[in-house]
Amino acid sequence: MTTIRRFSCNDLLRFASVNLDHLTETFNMSFYMTYLARWPDYFHVAEGLGNRIMGYIMGKVEGQGESWHGHVTAVTVAPEYRRQQLAKKLMNLLEDISDKIDKAYFVDLFVRASNTPAIKMYEKLGYVIYRRVLRYYSGEEDGLDMRKALSRDVEKKSIIPLKRPVTPDELEYD
Amino acid sequence: MASKFGLAGGIPERRVRPIWDAIDSRQYKTALKLATSLLAKTPNSPYALALKALVLERMGKADEALSVCLNAKELLYKNDSVLMDDLTLSTLQIVFQRLDHLDLATSCYEYACGKFPNNLELMMGLFNCYVREYSFVKQQQTAIKMYKLAGEERFLLWAVCSIQLQVFSGHGGEKLLLLAEGLVKKHVASHSLHEPEALMVYISILEQQAKYGNALEILNGKLGSLLMIEVDKLRIQGRLLARAGDYSAAADIFQKILELSSDDWECFLHYLGCLLEDDSYWCNLALNEPVYPLKHVDYNILHLEDEAFDSRISKASAFVQKLHEDTDKNILRCPYLANIEIERRRHLQGKGDNDKLIESLMQYFDRFGHLACSSADVEKFLDVLSPDKKIEFLNKLKKSFDCISTVPTKMLGQSITLFKIQELVGNMSELPVAELEGSAVQMAEMYCRNLPLSKDLDPQEGMHGEELLSMVCNVLIQLFWRTRHVGYFIEAIMVLEYGLNIRRYVWQYKILLLHLYSYWGALSLAHEWYKLLDVKNILMETVSHHILPQMLVSPLWKDLNNLLQDYLKFMDDHFRESADLTFLAYRHRNYSKVIEFVQFKERLQHSNQYLVARVEAPILQLKQNADNIEEEEAVLESLKSGVHFLELSNEIGSKSLTFNEDMQTRPWWAPTSERNYLLGPFEGVSYYPRENSIKEREASVRRVVERKSLLPRMIYLSIQSASASLKDNLEVNGSVSDPKISSELKILLERYAKILGFSLSDAIEVVLAVSGGLKSSEVFGSDLIDWLNFAVFLNSWNLSSHELGHRADGDGRQPQTWETVNSLLEKCILEKMSLTELSITSPWNNLPVLTQLVTEPFAWHGLVIQSNVRAFLPSGKKKKKSGPSDLPALSRTRDSVLSLCGTLEKLMKWLREQINRPEDENLESFLSSLQKKGQEQEGSGQVFQILETLVSSINDNDLGDQISRALKSWSHVDVARKIVKGKFTVLAELLRLCESKFKMLQALKQQLAQV
Repeated sequence: MTTIRRFSCNDLLRFASVNLDHLTETFNMSFYMTYLARWPDYFHVAEGLGNRIMGYIMGKVEGQGESWHGHVTAVTVAPEYRRQQLAKKLMNLLEDISDKIDKAYFVDLFVRASNTPAIKMYEKLGYVIYRRVLRYYSGEEDGLDMRKALSRDVEKKSIIPLKRPVTPDELEYD
Repeated sequence: MASKFGLAGGIPERRVRPIWDAIDSRQYKTALKLATSLLAKTPNSPYALALKALVLERMGKADEALSVCLNAKELLYKNDSVLMDDLTLSTLQIVFQRLDHLDLATSCYEYACGKFPNNLELMMGLFNCYVREYSFVKQQQTAIKMYKLAGEERFLLWAVCSIQLQVFSGHGGEKLLLLAEGLVKKHVASHSLHEPEALMVYISILEQQAKYGNALEILNGKLGSLLMIEVDKLRIQGRLLARAGDYSAAADIFQKILELSSDDWECFLHYLGCLLEDDSYWCNLALNEPVYPLKHVDYNILHLEDEAFDSRISKASAFVQKLHEDTDKNILRCPYLANIEIERRRHLQGKGDNDKLIESLMQYFDRFGHLACSSADVEKFLDVLSPDKKIEFLNKLKKSFDCISTVPTKMLGQSITLFKIQELVGNMSELPVAELEGSAVQMAEMYCRNLPLSKDLDPQEGMHGEELLSMVCNVLIQLFWRTRHVGYFIEAIMVLEYGLNIRRYVWQYKILLLHLYSYWGALSLAHEWYKLLDVKNILMETVSHHILPQMLVSPLWKDLNNLLQDYLKFMDDHFRESADLTFLAYRHRNYSKVIEFVQFKERLQHSNQYLVARVEAPILQLKQNADNIEEEEAVLESLKSGVHFLELSNEIGSKSLTFNEDMQTRPWWAPTSERNYLLGPFEGVSYYPRENSIKEREASVRRVVERKSLLPRMIYLSIQSASASLKDNLEVNGSVSDPKISSELKILLERYAKILGFSLSDAIEVVLAVSGGLKSSEVFGSDLIDWLNFAVFLNSWNLSSHELGHRADGDGRQPQTWETVNSLLEKCILEKMSLTELSITSPWNNLPVLTQLVTEPFAWHGLVIQSNVRAFLPSGKKKKKSGPSDLPALSRTRDSVLSLCGTLEKLMKWLREQINRPEDENLESFLSSLQKKGQEQEGSGQVFQILETLVSSINDNDLGDQISRALKSWSHVDVARKIVKGKFTVLAELLRLCESKFKMLQALKQQLAQV
């Protein structure tokens, strides 16, 4: 019931019912288009019956050496399509592309420290809390940097948790 | 930015870096100082000049920046020894672009490339310039040069993309594609291809030429391995085969995809379609597909023989059966829906078996009935059932839900689905009122009963059973539409406010409320809720239709202005930056995105909303300044006296428009902004008549734009005409009035009349007949405002042309167009007032028209008078020279001022009476409509009582802190007060506009007394 395909510009005109949800951020155009122009393989949409948008994932691949990794920038599912493991499917797709096509070492993502349901979900998908980023969200709330090692990181070095929290300016990438 | 250079434009980096640092940290004053001193040391360096220009531009000194840039350009051209590097040029390019002089940047690069023909870096810069200018041909030529120079795959693909863009924009067809194909073929032969995107472009070129076989050959060959995701490759293969008409091979491919990902619904449809040799999808496959596909594609009767059809369908059934077995997980909906689709196909082919279809539906609901999407999933399938069968299915479903599932959330989900299916089955409009009320009550009870399920949820999370309140609202509005009983309407508002009190983030409630408040004359509240939806960026294009049309005819000018400005800024920003992002796609070799970005920009540029906003924004400005003729003239000057809008009006007929609004989020009673069922009587139409109304909307937008974009010019000409008419008489040795004004105004009047469906002379007859009382103003119909505008402009034209004088009546009196306008304005305003019952419990549907009357024709006529009076008055040193000849003109102007004052006074009095009514009185009559009468079990107020009962019997343990607290803070009286206040805000704004006009007229009266 789910067709997953590359996200296209026209989907921006169709995702209103997903993005009106207040936890889903609507970015400016250059943000979306930069992702589309640079990492089209990391931006996918799930379509349901009647071509309704069920959800989407956007991400990128970046870093050097052993920190070459996939990054999940946003993943969201419309309320009426929740509880069908769609987020998992989208995440797996991005992990697959990071792993097989781009040969990355790990995938990471940031989540609000208070967003327990999301953290639980990511843990179920195999992500671990790698480190805490102090006041990551608008200088107020802490963020958690969660990671999942890919096949190239044989010894799973990338996900050994850091002992101390970091500040946003210590982050390698934005 | 500072890090990208070593020796910068021939200047040592250490001297340049501080300037960049200062710019990056927005220390423009420091930057300017540094740049000026650098320039003093290297006065002949174009780079130093470019830097200074950049700083000046950032400081907002556009003129200075441009002149410095031009100096740099001159230096570059003049001095052969000057270094011409990309850094200098790209810096200049940035400034030129920001100053809207792309052409100058391009010519700099063109010059540089001419001088250093083998410099790849400069050529890339030039290519970039052409990308910004959307000059596809020049892009192609430049890319080919680069390809010849460097032999790189990417430059070849840049050229090929540029060719495709030419073809898509309708320039050059087959020959160009053949050229592109040849280029790639040759390159492949010698160098092969290395990027998956390059392969995709290659295939798309072949596909565009219908060379499906060749494309397949390439895909199946060595190059095919570039596509790493197997499913992606198979999808292309399937599509090519289907388009080539090889349906059986295509079906095999789609089958393979389904074996890999059995939940891919679109793929299943392709599979089944190909199996049945149904070409309707592939024949209609347009490259520029609509954003919102039609819900129901016309179904072609298949040409398959009976036997073949049966065997193919059995094959599909068997395959789906296998999918069921392979995917034993219960979460995949596709295999279940596939069974239903197979039954539907049988049905359409005249071989259907209702019972089987119902059975497969039942199997689906058995597993997925609790999911929020389950009812929407089957919408299309229910259509093929007869009304009786639909009911039968509904009853079966009811029974089956009764006996399964003990998980409370699941049970709740199923019950909601049942309600939704009931809605879809479409018998809501036929149900007796009591039954409808009953289902609203049931829904509300279910909502309350299930609140404890959500007690531990995060307040930001959606609640279980959240949708129930939206559904209650839909039923209550249906009841209101039927019975015209206001109680239901107010109850619907209360239900949603109640829900938002518990969960403030439910956008579905907000949108419904927004529409209820809009209809109810409490537009300021509607706008409040709209703001809380946090509609920004691209959502403005898809969501603002919920509020914008109502705001355009409201007196809430400040909010309207913000809406228009935010939207226009978003769109214009995108148009400005889009080309840069396209170049980014080129650079990262994502060629398919290049095409996509260019097409997307065009889609937005043709947006009907964008066009409307571009016309409405200046009209709002004109309305806002109409009480002061000098300010109005300044606005008109900034609009180039309306000339551009005139062009727009001329072109609109041939412009293609796009409709990007997301209409699916609209409530059932207002499926488009042009339609609101509540404004008409109850008819037994189907519950969700969301007709495909694009054509209707397109015609309506064209008409609106064509008409409205004439306004600025007509206003300008009217002002000119009114003063020129007097100058004719007054100025002895001054200039004579320009005959061009009246002839142009006449042409525009003819057009305006034509848009209204009349010839000029017939339109004049109509206007005179209505003002003279021979015809009722009802003949104006929904074009009332335009007819009055017409009358106003007609008068101003007559002032300078006196043409209507030649059409003297039998008794020799010429028609007094002044009086015509005065009486029309008075008549229409008073009529609309008398039609509007200003009781707090009525919707005030005539308020928008009243607002328009005052802020449009009335305002434009006010301008004509102001212009007239100004011409009477002494200006500068010149002594006024009023002779006996202008006395009639003077008295007519006076009469008009008096008449307008009189009309306005009546309107203001009427508004004040309402506004000054004691709040408690309003509140009481508002709340009384919610109260149930006596002990009856029927009528409005039942749902409201259920919700109130819950509040009075809160159990903290059951509901948890957050919900209990929210319930305790609920007060329906507060909400009622808010609504009353909201309605008065709109009235007060209208009154304020009237008062401003009144003041202006009073001042004119005084001035006229001195003449």
